[in-house]
Amino acid sequence: MTQRISKYQRFKMMNPIIQFFKFIYLSIKIMIVVAGGHGGTKKVN
Amino acid sequence: MSKIVILGAGISGHVAASHLRRKLSKEHEVVVVSPNSNYQWIPSNIWVGIGRMKSEKILFPLEPLYKKKGIGYKQAKAISFFPEGDKNEEKPYVLAEYVVGDKKSQQEKVTYDYLINATGPKLNFEATNGLIPGENKTYSVCTYTHADHAWEGLNSLIQEMKQGKKVKILIGTGHAKATCQGAAFEYILNVEQELRKHKVRDMAEVTWISNEYQLGDFGMDGMLLSYGSMTMKSHEMVEMIFEDRDIKWILGAGVNKIENGLAHYENLEGEQKAETYDFAMLIPTFSGHDFKAYDKNENDITKKLFKGFMIVDADYTPKPYEEWSVRDWPETYQNPSYKNIFAPGIAFAPPHAISKPRKSKNGTDISPAPPRTGMPSGITAKLVADNIIDSIKIGKESLHHKGSLGNMGAACIASAGYGITKGSGVSITTYPIVPDYEKYPKTQGRQLGKTFGDIGLAGHWLKLALHYAFIYKAKMRPFWWLIPE
Repeated sequence: MTQRISKYQRFKMMNPIIQFFKFIYLSIKIMIVVAGGHGGTKKVN
Repeated sequence: MSKIVILGAGISGHVAASHLRRKLSKEHEVVVVSPNSNYQWIPSNIWVGIGRMKSEKILFPLEPLYKKKGIGYKQAKAISFFPEGDKNEEKPYVLAEYVVGDKKSQQEKVTYDYLINATGPKLNFEATNGLIPGENKTYSVCTYTHADHAWEGLNSLIQEMKQGKKVKILIGTGHAKATCQGAAFEYILNVEQELRKHKVRDMAEVTWISNEYQLGDFGMDGMLLSYGSMTMKSHEMVEMIFEDRDIKWILGAGVNKIENGLAHYENLEGEQKAETYDFAMLIPTFSGHDFKAYDKNENDITKKLFKGFMIVDADYTPKPYEEWSVRDWPETYQNPSYKNIFAPGIAFAPPHAISKPRKSKNGTDISPAPPRTGMPSGITAKLVADNIIDSIKIGKESLHHKGSLGNMGAACIASAGYGITKGSGVSITTYPIVPDYEKYPKTQGRQLGKTFGDIGLAGHWLKLALHYAFIYKAKMRPFWWLIPE
């Protein structure tokens, strides 16, 4: 069954104060994923 | 002295040109050949298509910037490749034709020591009968001019809805093998939010149509991701969003013909169906540019360079889905026949799709082609530039920099509605882009934690921040190189 977005979840999603901290958290987390390096796959180091 | 020629000035070509110019001394020549006069930040086309951002905000002219930075620029389109030169020209060259100015229609042999093919995709609207942006009530947001037209069409529809007209809006993919579902996903959520803003949401039936087998496939075979304290599949997350926004969906649909307000499609059951609409935004399939290549004696060698897109260091051996591996994917984007030619970004031929291929009961292929978005385009362009820089500096070939999509993370910050306080975004990161089922067998080929999703206002702020950061970077303002690709 499909999950529904509850009223409380929606409040958290749209609350500017909560989302400000989420913005900082996501920025750091995304930076870790995307700037965390990349490399080849063909040779096992 | 070396001459590096870059074909294309999109994300990939521009990133390569910027890094080459910054890191190479002025004795080396960097030349960009592109038919486009402007750089455009394509991810923000979504907001142009809902009238929330002027197209001028997402583009800037290339020529003044390149002149200031010492990058050569020819507003011309590549026609054919001569990687061995010809009987009269010793050096390899690309035959290019000017598209504007006094030299319009004139052809020039643009010689090179290194060639970066960053020509991206051809938007192959012709592959779907009747799919023409601005005609048959269908639109596109693939370029800023298309997005401007889309907003004109949507705006006039909103005015009609305000007069009491009930309408149907259809958004998704316009071909059985289309990719870039992410852009259509962003657009449908933005359109839905705009309808609410204009207080006409109840006048519209909004439907998603896609060649995906499941929602949230995005041409990446879907993903298992962390969502808050839960672990959920991407199709569950997208279903949750669509249910919340009252968006209907049609999946496994290979759109094959468009008539005025009628989209014909075949589904995986092999049924021929049709969906009516008053406004549609359908992403076309992508293809190569049909370039030709010739050897020194002018024999056709197109097959050595191209397989639709450009052949690079991928493993193109045909194999079934179960045998696909991340090792099939290229690492250096170097053409195996001509080692001084590279094709980063969208210009390289992928070894195969990422999503599981599926056929309808009639044998029609209906599944997404692999997406290659801005971030991997930028990363692959930079590593190609770095390898060329190293090769020039040490005087022999260096391929030290590698970046397979099977060992690279990506972030997709999908706008779900515009507005500083009312906006929303779906932030998804995935690592790796191409699932590695050997390394992560229990989590659908991806590393949980680094593959996560989040929905909320912060996502909109992030997308807006990225818009300004990447335009700053593209304009090569002070310390631009500190902003990662």
